[in-house]
Amino acid sequence: MLEWKKRLSFVIVAAVFGVMLAVELRTTMPSEERDTRDIWELRADLTKEQQLEQQLLEELEDYEEKLRHYQEKEAAGGGAALEATVAELREEAGLTEVKGSGIVLMIAPFSTADYVGPVTATVSPELLQRLVNELNKYGAREIAIGGERLTNRTAIRDINGITNVGRRPIRLPVEVKAIADDVDKLYSGLAVSPIRDDFIVENLELSISKPKSVIVIPPSTERPDVKYMETASAGKEEK
Amino acid sequence: MWLPLLGMLLGFAVGVLAGWEIPDEYSNYLSIAILAAFDTLIGGWRAHLQRTYDELVFITGFFFNIILATTLTFLGIHLGVDLYLAAVFAFGVRLFQNIAIIRRLWLAEWAERRQNREKS
Repeated sequence: MLEWKKRLSFVIVAAVFGVMLAVELRTTMPSEERDTRDIWELRADLTKEQQLEQQLLEELEDYEEKLRHYQEKEAAGGGAALEATVAELREEAGLTEVKGSGIVLMIAPFSTADYVGPVTATVSPELLQRLVNELNKYGAREIAIGGERLTNRTAIRDINGITNVGRRPIRLPVEVKAIADDVDKLYSGLAVSPIRDDFIVENLELSISKPKSVIVIPPSTERPDVKYMETASAGKEEK
Repeated sequence: MWLPLLGMLLGFAVGVLAGWEIPDEYSNYLSIAILAAFDTLIGGWRAHLQRTYDELVFITGFFFNIILATTLTFLGIHLGVDLYLAAVFAFGVRLFQNIAIIRRLWLAEWAERRQNREKS
C-alpha cells in the first residue's frame, strides 16, 4: 500500500514536470502566423493581385509585340525597330524635350508688410521633395524645377546652404513646371492640397497657374553614366 | 519504473493539448523551474535505486527547489546580477552527479547479473 502511494506521488510529480516542459516548449517555439484577414481584406488583396496580374500581362503583350516587330524588321534588314526602341528609352530616361498640357508653379519669398526678419533666399530640399511628392500624387508625368528636368536620378539636396536640383542651384523666385495627362485633376488636387501652407510656414509663397495647354519641359542635362555596359563593335558582332 | 515516464508523457500531452502559453517575459523563470524540477526527479530516481527514497523529502524538495530557483532568477533580474546562473550551476552539477550514480548502480547490477549467469 505504502509502496503504491509512493509511486503515485512520483508519477504525479513527473506529470507536473511534463506539463511544465510542454508549456515551456509551446512558449519558446515560434507559433505559426495566423491568417486573420476578414473577407473585405481578402477581397482587397485579391483585387491587388489581379491588378498586378493585369499589369504583368500587359507588359508581356507589349514585349511580345516588340519581339514580333524586331523579327519582322530583321527579315527586312533594317534597324528601324531598334531605333524606335532607343528613342522610346531616351524619352523614358528624360533625355528628350517633352511638350504637353500642364501647370506652372511659382515659388517666391513671402512676407507680410510688417515683416522684418531675414529674407529666405532658397527653398529647403525637404519642402521641394514634398512638393514633388504632391505633384506626383496628383498625376504629374514630367516635372522640371527651375529649368532642371526631374528624372529618377535627379538629386534634390542642400549643398553649402543652397538647395540644388541635380547640378543646378535653386535661387528664388523659381519656376516649377509639371505636365500631366489629366491637368484638371492636377490643378484641383494642388488647389486643395495643404502644400501651400507648408510653404507659407517657411516664408515662401507658392502660386499655381491655371492649366495651360502647352508647356515645354527641357531634356535632362545630366548624362547617365553607364558603368557596366560597353559598346559592341560591329566587327565583333559579326564574328 | 515505466510508470513515472508514462506520467511525464501524460503531463506533456496535457500541456500540449491544453494550449497553455505563458508570456515571453516569464519563460526565463519557467526554464529555471524546469531545470530544478528535472534535478529533483533525477534525484528521486537515484534515491529510489539506492533505497533511500523518502516521499516527504522528495515532494517538498520538488516544490522548494522550484520556488528557490525562480526566486533567485527574480532577484537576479531585479538586482542586475545573473543569479539564475547559481541555480543553473548547482542543479547542473547535481544532475550530472545523480546521473553518474544511477549509471554506476546500473553497471553494478549488470555486472552482478552476468557473474550470476556465469556461475550457473
